[in-house]
Amino acid sequence: MASYIVRRLGYMLITLVFVTVVGFFIIELPPGSYLEFHIQSLRQQGGDVTPDQIAALERRYGLGDPVHVRFYKWISGFPRGDFGQSFQHQRPVGELIWSRLGYTLLISVLTLIISWGIAIVVGVYSATHRYTIPDYLITVLQFIGLAIPNFLLALVMMIVLQQTFGMRVGVLYSREFRDAPFSIAKLLDLASNLWVPIVILGVAGTAWTSRVMRANLLDVLNMQYVQTARAKGVYEPKVIWKHAVRNALHPLVMTLGLALPGIISGEVIVSTVLNLPTSGPLFFQALIQQDMYLAGTFLVFFAVALLIGNLLADIMLAWLDPRITYR
Amino acid sequence: MTDQVSVQETDAGQQVEQPSAQGNIVEVRDLHTYFYTDLGVARALNGVTYNIPREKVLGIVGESGCGKSVTALSIMNLVQPPGKIVSGEVVLHRVGAKGANTEVVLTDLGRHSTQMRRIRGNEIAMIFQEPMTSLNPVYTIGDQISEAFILHQGVNKDEARRRSILILDRVGMPYADTVVDQYPHQLSGGMRQRAMIALGLSCAPSLLIADEPTTALDVTTEAQILDVMRGLQSDIGMSIMFITHDLGVIAQMADEVVVMYLGRVAEQAPVDSIFYDPLHPYTRALLRSIPHVGEGTKERLKPIRGVVPNPYSNISGCPFHPRCDEFMPDVCDVNVPGITMTEDGRAVRCFLYSDRVEKNG
Amino acid sequence: MTDITVEKIAAEAGEEISTVGEIPQSKLIWMRFSRNKLALVGGVGLIIMYIIVALGPFIASNHFRNQNQDYLYGPPTPVTFRGADGRLGLRPYTYEYITRLDQESFKFVFDFDRDTRLPLEFFVRGDEYELLGFIESNVHLVGVQGEQRFYPLGTDALGRDVFARLLVGGQVSLTVGLVGVALTIILGSVMGTISGYFGGAVDDVMQRVIELILSFPTVPLWAALAAALPPISRSFTAIHRFFLITVILSLVNWTGLARQLRGKVMGYAESDFVMAALAVGASDARIIFVHMMPNASSHIIVVAALAIPGMILGETALSFLGLGILPPAVSWGSMLTQAQAVPVVIEHPWLMTPGIAVVLAVLFYSFLGDALRDAADPYSI
Ligand SMILES: Nc1ncnc2c1ncn2[C@@H]1O[C@H](COP(=O)(O)OP(=O)(O)OP(=O)(O)O)[C@@H](O)[C@H]1O
Ligand code: SF4
Ligand SMILES: [Mg+2]
Repeated sequence: MASYIVRRLGYMLITLVFVTVVGFFIIELPPGSYLEFHIQSLRQQGGDVTPDQIAALERRYGLGDPVHVRFYKWISGFPRGDFGQSFQHQRPVGELIWSRLGYTLLISVLTLIISWGIAIVVGVYSATHRYTIPDYLITVLQFIGLAIPNFLLALVMMIVLQQTFGMRVGVLYSREFRDAPFSIAKLLDLASNLWVPIVILGVAGTAWTSRVMRANLLDVLNMQYVQTARAKGVYEPKVIWKHAVRNALHPLVMTLGLALPGIISGEVIVSTVLNLPTSGPLFFQALIQQDMYLAGTFLVFFAVALLIGNLLADIMLAWLDPRITYR
Repeated sequence: MTDQVSVQETDAGQQVEQPSAQGNIVEVRDLHTYFYTDLGVARALNGVTYNIPREKVLGIVGESGCGKSVTALSIMNLVQPPGKIVSGEVVLHRVGAKGANTEVVLTDLGRHSTQMRRIRGNEIAMIFQEPMTSLNPVYTIGDQISEAFILHQGVNKDEARRRSILILDRVGMPYADTVVDQYPHQLSGGMRQRAMIALGLSCAPSLLIADEPTTALDVTTEAQILDVMRGLQSDIGMSIMFITHDLGVIAQMADEVVVMYLGRVAEQAPVDSIFYDPLHPYTRALLRSIPHVGEGTKERLKPIRGVVPNPYSNISGCPFHPRCDEFMPDVCDVNVPGITMTEDGRAVRCFLYSDRVEKNG
Repeated sequence: MTDITVEKIAAEAGEEISTVGEIPQSKLIWMRFSRNKLALVGGVGLIIMYIIVALGPFIASNHFRNQNQDYLYGPPTPVTFRGADGRLGLRPYTYEYITRLDQESFKFVFDFDRDTRLPLEFFVRGDEYELLGFIESNVHLVGVQGEQRFYPLGTDALGRDVFARLLVGGQVSLTVGLVGVALTIILGSVMGTISGYFGGAVDDVMQRVIELILSFPTVPLWAALAAALPPISRSFTAIHRFFLITVILSLVNWTGLARQLRGKVMGYAESDFVMAALAVGASDARIIFVHMMPNASSHIIVVAALAIPGMILGETALSFLGLGILPPAVSWGSMLTQAQAVPVVIEHPWLMTPGIAVVLAVLFYSFLGDALRDAADPYSI
């Protein structure tokens, strides 16, 4: 097992190198130099940019260097936590992204856990109550849940919460807690605001996962070993939960690798609509302003999160299914 | 559990034509099990009646799809939707402490009821057709056998594990104390089937239903498994209902034989009578189509002519009449033959032996 | 032990047990598909949507770019079937409106004069438009004669007809899925087949590339690529941008199809029909295109149908964020950018109608895709 994880980590590192290459490629992609964009905006703000300053900036960002040297400069900063400079914010990228990435991950992981919890129960229910009215109702809800774009759901939720409950959406902490030190009360306040993005994000995931769960469980329920358990005299709910669900979870965990990108994508969009202080608004703003080091670094870290998520999914799979050998 | 079990007096008066209930552990009476699929209603069992004699081996033969597995599942009350036991009953005869005979009508118990669950795996156990898929891949052999002990004998985990090793040893599992901690995928097909038999025998059932337990195995392994089963049957003194479509296995294993055709029993008789004095034309046709051991005839084997109708079709009269050599026009294709009891206690459904007609056929 | 089984006897006699196996696969799939009621709903719904959208400029009363300065954020114009005499009739009317500036809120308010009825007429002449790219006309399905205009879904911030924009925007949003899926199929089947057929180093490289693409979350990756597209100019038109956006969408989507096809093709490589083709010296291309592709076609169709909703949702999200379809082109997503601020939506709820259109289109496509998948392979998810 340990050597399996080590080998997986090795693969991950190789992929990571290529991820940074793609990240850098995207940084370089927009036409025109970001320095031009930067100088232009400095001029617009009324500042006068001297040739000396331009030369200094060029040196600082190594714009005169060939591509591979620039790439090397960029990634060699990674171990020091130096991901380049954000032009738009006039600050190092490293200072801007951490707390935002943290909240993105927090929201994504919470959504994943909660939506899986609900989806498994719903999936088991509809598989064991096939062709009943509740099953049809669940199917309808699943279709709708998958058809509503999450940003639209975010808009609708914002309107409903504001109109009917007067709730202020778009913050993680209420005003009085924003700068307060960590406390239980602050955590509760966070929870009271966090449920909104989690619900919005969770709808599509829950709909999808519960459908996969239903189909998997229906497959498993046709297996001979389920009848074996019944023939032993095992109580039906136990037949379902102990003997069938455990096997049905296996293909579900395999789809975790597909679910994670969806959730992170969703979080980025939803938080942009809700204007939450997470990655989304900053990332899209950076893209629109062509603040490419900031955007590229975000992209690399999204990929890192996914790679770690996939690793965890693989480990979980190995734990769930004794047939998997750690080759 | 006694109060809720429906106990009946043996109703001998109404069942004159039925085979004798004496010494039977299970009686299946006019059982209809249908499957409601989108292709139509499959009448998998269409009035099945037979008896499983106590402490004997009953062999069940018939072509694929004739309803052998469905009968077994119906006895266990394990028919899953879209299948349903529509009518008829399955009666379990219990021998009480003082020889008192009580009857439990299994078909009256709910599929998921406590009483039914206490019978399953305890009084009646079942081994399935495919050893490769009948064990749960994510639990060890020991966990799966222990579950039965914990459920029916109320022992703790350690004791259940100890008993699991014992029973594995008893069915001839090599290295039982290693295998107990292994997963099904680590075992060969033969070992898995031994594990299944161990699971079936764990609570010393009075009836073991074995649905083609050796079909998927090679000949050597098959012989070993059959030996084990026969040996345990006489040791424990249980009944076995042995489903197969291998007449050779029947000759070796069974005391009594039920021949099924298209959801009905064609004939039930002791094994010798089936092989040397078959009554039903279908049984005869079956036997003509296999080489007789020791006779050394040069005669060509005769396949049964015609095709097996599918269970969705509704054949008028005797279900075998389109393929029967003794077909009697205006008789066989009009009415369904009822069960005829011969003087020596054999049951056969054919107009050659009486003109008894099935009432609601 | 005799090894004579009833099956063997039957087999020796050459009997057939069942005829189900003789129905060709494609016919079975069609049988199962046509029995599915949701598929019917999805199919008919989509056909209607595509027809309405294609005829959009004719069906809507106004040109989608026409700005009515007197009717900014105007509500849907009311319709009544009550004539001037107060009785119900078949003739629809709308009312004349008067624009006035509210002195307190400093907003324009539209008062409908319930006494002045304007008859709604069919085949009215109005704005010039081009239908399906070649029919030029100025006849609209319904409209009002004279100065006033008919806005069944109100107007947006610039006084443009939301209904007209919804139909024209639908042309973009509903085409993105089709074009994107076509690209996905081409890329996915070429890559997947090559990967599965040749195996070895080619396969390894391909698998790593796919893994790399899949290690990015889709929407941020799309957005980053879309952000690199040049701004719309004379040399880079809205059509160019539209096409490149679909390319970007399918750039991520092909990986799924490629992976599945690779598995299929690897399975086929050992199958009898490929062996036979190899034995008679068929070329690689012939084996791939004549023998393997047709066998995988049902699979490709299913994957494609299931991919369309994702494409539509992707375009909508990108355009909504200002990174997809940009003015002067219009799509459902870009229309929704106007609905980003809550107070605006609360006062002008009709701005949300493109959202309903998206949900409907995606629903219909999922019905269709699901039914196709169930029909082609009833045992998978
Ligand atoms: N789950 C099911 N759904 C629909 N029909 C079924 C189902 N199970 C059994 N049947 C029907 O019942 C008939 C009898 O099936 P059964 O499994 O009892 O055959 P069998 O005699 O055990 O055959 P085999 O020797 O192949 O095991 C079949 O022909 C089939 O049409
Ligand atoms: S009833 Fe008639 S058709 Fe049926 S088996 Fe007997 S003789 Fe043959
Ligand atoms: Mg069977």
